[in-house]
Amino acid sequence: MFGFRIADAQDATAPSAAATPVSPDDVNAVAKQLWCPLCSNVRLDSCELKACSQMKDVIAQQLADGTEVQEIKNYFVAQYGPQVLGEPPMEGFNWLAWLLPIAVVIGGAAFIWTRARKMVQTPKPEDDTPDQISGMPADPYAEKLDKELKQYD
Amino acid sequence: MIFDIGYLMLISGLVLAAYGVIAGFWGGQKRNTKLIQSSFNTVYVVAILVLSASAILWYGLLADAFELTYVWNHSERALPTFYKFSALWGGQQGSLLFWCLLLSGYSAIVAFFNRKRHQLLMPYVNAILLTTSLFFLILLVFAANPFKRVGFIPPDGQGLNPLLQNYWMVIHPVMLYLGFVGMAVPFAFAVAALISRKLDNEWVRTVRRWTLIPWMFLSAGIIMGSQWAYMELGWGGYWAWDAVENASFLPWLTGTAFLHSIIIQEQRGILKVWNMVLIWLTYFLVILGTFTTRSGILESVHSFARSDVGPYFLVFLILIMFGFIWLLFSRMPLLRSDHPIDSYTSREAAFLGNNWLFTALAFATLWGTFFPMFSELLTGQRISVAAPFFNKVNGPLFLMLLFLMGAAPLLGWRHTSLSAFRKQFTIPIIAGLAVAGLVFVVARSLYPMVGLGICGFVVAAILQEYVRGAMARRSVNHENIFVAVANLWRRNGRRYGGYIVHLGIVMIGVAVIGNEFYQQSTNVTLNTGESAKVGRYELEFAGMESNREANRIEFGARLIIYDEAGKAIGTVIPQRNIYDKTPDQPTTEVGLQMSPIEDVYVVLNGWENQGESATFTIYVNPLTVWMWIGGIVLVLGVLIAIWPHPVLRRAEGMQAVAYATGD
Amino acid sequence: MARRCALAGGCGPGVVGFVLLLAWGLLRTNQTEQRAAGMAPEYTFTTFDGQTISSSDLLGKGVVLNFWASWCDPCRDEARLLEETWQREQDNGIVFIGLDYLDQEPAAKAYLEEFGVTYPSGPDLQSAAARRYGIKGVPETFFIDPTGKIVHMEIGPVVDQARMDELIDQIRP
Repeated sequence: MFGFRIADAQDATAPSAAATPVSPDDVNAVAKQLWCPLCSNVRLDSCELKACSQMKDVIAQQLADGTEVQEIKNYFVAQYGPQVLGEPPMEGFNWLAWLLPIAVVIGGAAFIWTRARKMVQTPKPEDDTPDQISGMPADPYAEKLDKELKQYD
Repeated sequence: MIFDIGYLMLISGLVLAAYGVIAGFWGGQKRNTKLIQSSFNTVYVVAILVLSASAILWYGLLADAFELTYVWNHSERALPTFYKFSALWGGQQGSLLFWCLLLSGYSAIVAFFNRKRHQLLMPYVNAILLTTSLFFLILLVFAANPFKRVGFIPPDGQGLNPLLQNYWMVIHPVMLYLGFVGMAVPFAFAVAALISRKLDNEWVRTVRRWTLIPWMFLSAGIIMGSQWAYMELGWGGYWAWDAVENASFLPWLTGTAFLHSIIIQEQRGILKVWNMVLIWLTYFLVILGTFTTRSGILESVHSFARSDVGPYFLVFLILIMFGFIWLLFSRMPLLRSDHPIDSYTSREAAFLGNNWLFTALAFATLWGTFFPMFSELLTGQRISVAAPFFNKVNGPLFLMLLFLMGAAPLLGWRHTSLSAFRKQFTIPIIAGLAVAGLVFVVARSLYPMVGLGICGFVVAAILQEYVRGAMARRSVNHENIFVAVANLWRRNGRRYGGYIVHLGIVMIGVAVIGNEFYQQSTNVTLNTGESAKVGRYELEFAGMESNREANRIEFGARLIIYDEAGKAIGTVIPQRNIYDKTPDQPTTEVGLQMSPIEDVYVVLNGWENQGESATFTIYVNPLTVWMWIGGIVLVLGVLIAIWPHPVLRRAEGMQAVAYATGD
Repeated sequence: MARRCALAGGCGPGVVGFVLLLAWGLLRTNQTEQRAAGMAPEYTFTTFDGQTISSSDLLGKGVVLNFWASWCDPCRDEARLLEETWQREQDNGIVFIGLDYLDQEPAAKAYLEEFGVTYPSGPDLQSAAARRYGIKGVPETFFIDPTGKIVHMEIGPVVDQARMDELIDQIRP
């Protein structure tokens, strides 16, 4: 299905016509922050499609014109949409992408904390951190090791 | 014809598996010995049938039987025999057959080794494993028949996807499938325990080893997949948080959480419901991962083409989901009855923290993988969720996990008084601070400073545990240090093998930090004889060469690497391979010079003027080699952990003899 | 107990939603070929010359909507035919529209120059139209009749004049 849009590899890497004082490394530094809009999960600096090398030409052009990196990124978002960013933009519905995992981390911590407290049937004084409670039947080896260690000490 | 026999074998496998499911459930319910025995026999026969069907497809591949659509699409006459063999798992239908083969193999091994044990559980274990086999056989018979005919006999095949013509790509899916499929075994035991209401520690103890084995394969498979990506995709990295990569990583996360949390269930009899949920999640994520990679619902570079298997998977997933939830709720009272806890310990707190972090990581990864679909469905906007998202969300969680990995063993099961705490933590904390200080001096950067500092802390903690253990043995048994360590492994492999696994993980962590934060790269066009400088190295382009292979032409560029002193330290030949059947998809073989400090990694982007000049991307990847070393260490650690205990092994051996004479 | 209910209340819809999402994803991957029927989705774009065109302005005319890109080699095979047919048909109530898919302005303008394209053509910003039309690649050409109904969808280039004429005859006002 997609065969007809794949650019020839040699062709893709031919030097661009626009001779700019910008080095390929400068272009790649920006391209590393962008994702190929035609591919799934391919970073622009390692993308060999003709479309990608055209995008890199535009980056070179804009860098030569003195455009800020952030502005270049904004330009590509305006052209192709937020998918070039490789992460959901922090706006509108896409906030959910960032907030839900954080909510789960915090919610999970709270859940475990309350459950663990409930397991301790008799409420302990406040300064009872888990580290200070003893009286556990240890696994047999640990016990043995502890005994050995005592001898060693 | 032989291929019709192959298809017939799949059909009879399907019918038999369906019978075996009923025999297992009903026999278990009625305690009917004949039916139970019959379920065992069914497991063996299904395994033989699937193996025979696979052998027939292998024969088709090796004999160039292009009248089969599968062979036509995934092989060609000029394909090296090795890849003809591996083409069995190079495409949709074949890989499903391979999945089914491994599953029925696992089932047969489980059935055989437990034929005299776990009398109450085994009929259900057989039934659950056969249910999974049944599902895959239904797929193979109705939606993805590997023996489908083209309708005529083509003179030659279309060739195997060039990306798959690589040694790592041959072995990586095998490992990954062994890991994926194997997770069905602990799930089957968990469900069997629920159905039979035999919810004591028996299934937990049995399942530990049956989880560690697939876990080891899954870890190895993921590492090998990274190695493949590193060598073949040519972007200087090894892990892109691609949907398919995530599909393999998700069950790893929940499986790892399960491995840790069954330890507390075994020791303390708590978290019973949670462990059920974890192993179910692992199994669910295995099937979900297989589904997402086969149905193309998440577009990905690795995906197989779109096909008809999607709806079948969806139905099966729903069945797993609701069937298990129903079962779990109906057995809830049995799982809650055992609560002998009147206090919690520090070690348990650490385990809870471990489970919390692993689950959060699994959730964030699942969420990130499917979020583009959510976003598109609800807002119509297409977004991508790639490395920047996962690095930001998962990165801190991984760091916390790494810290916990070092701290948990220090807390111990015993009373941790302030003095004990100080005694345990002083050396590791000093080591961690020293490493962080060193990073501060050598290469100032916050994240790596924290990350590598934690790595130093964990390594020191592990070493301290070893020293303590070995010293204790030496003083009591008067063993020398090597014998003492060997005995720690032999007599307490679970604990000390586990530390080795942790050590492997630290090495992988070091490699990730090095590659992520200290990578250097440059893009250059060189004429023959010219050279470019990257980091401490200078690379001279010595010219292009080409090499004709059976089904491809390999174009390589020879580069000589010089160090700061101008001494030649090696040669790399990055390649572009152009395959006869797919000339528009040249593959990349990077040129790689590895060392413990850093890799020099060269990608050939293109060339002009008959190879007089060529364009390269050159990367210097610090510490990356430790990822592969860490992978090997991890596997060794698991082997130490699962090696049978000498005393127990003797007991098992005697049991086996008794059975042999008894039968 | 209350907590368990709350947990079930939180996870239940999540689980059901996830299943629905998977089902939708499956439907989406399998429905590609039904796009050739039904009403043409709406779109608005600004041509490279600065003229804003909306699909609703074009009702009453037969529309040939071509998705293209300058990096797309097969598009080059049909570019001349599209322009020639537009020259011939523009006074017969037929409109040609070019929507430039994921492309760069300098390269796109050079392409239009190279093939002397005179019909309205402009960037499909953020692939808004491409998404509504569900295109899978370029070139893809939609033939829309004067009532706004999609009569035909051509995947890949149209290189044959007879074929083009046959399709245009179906959308004449």
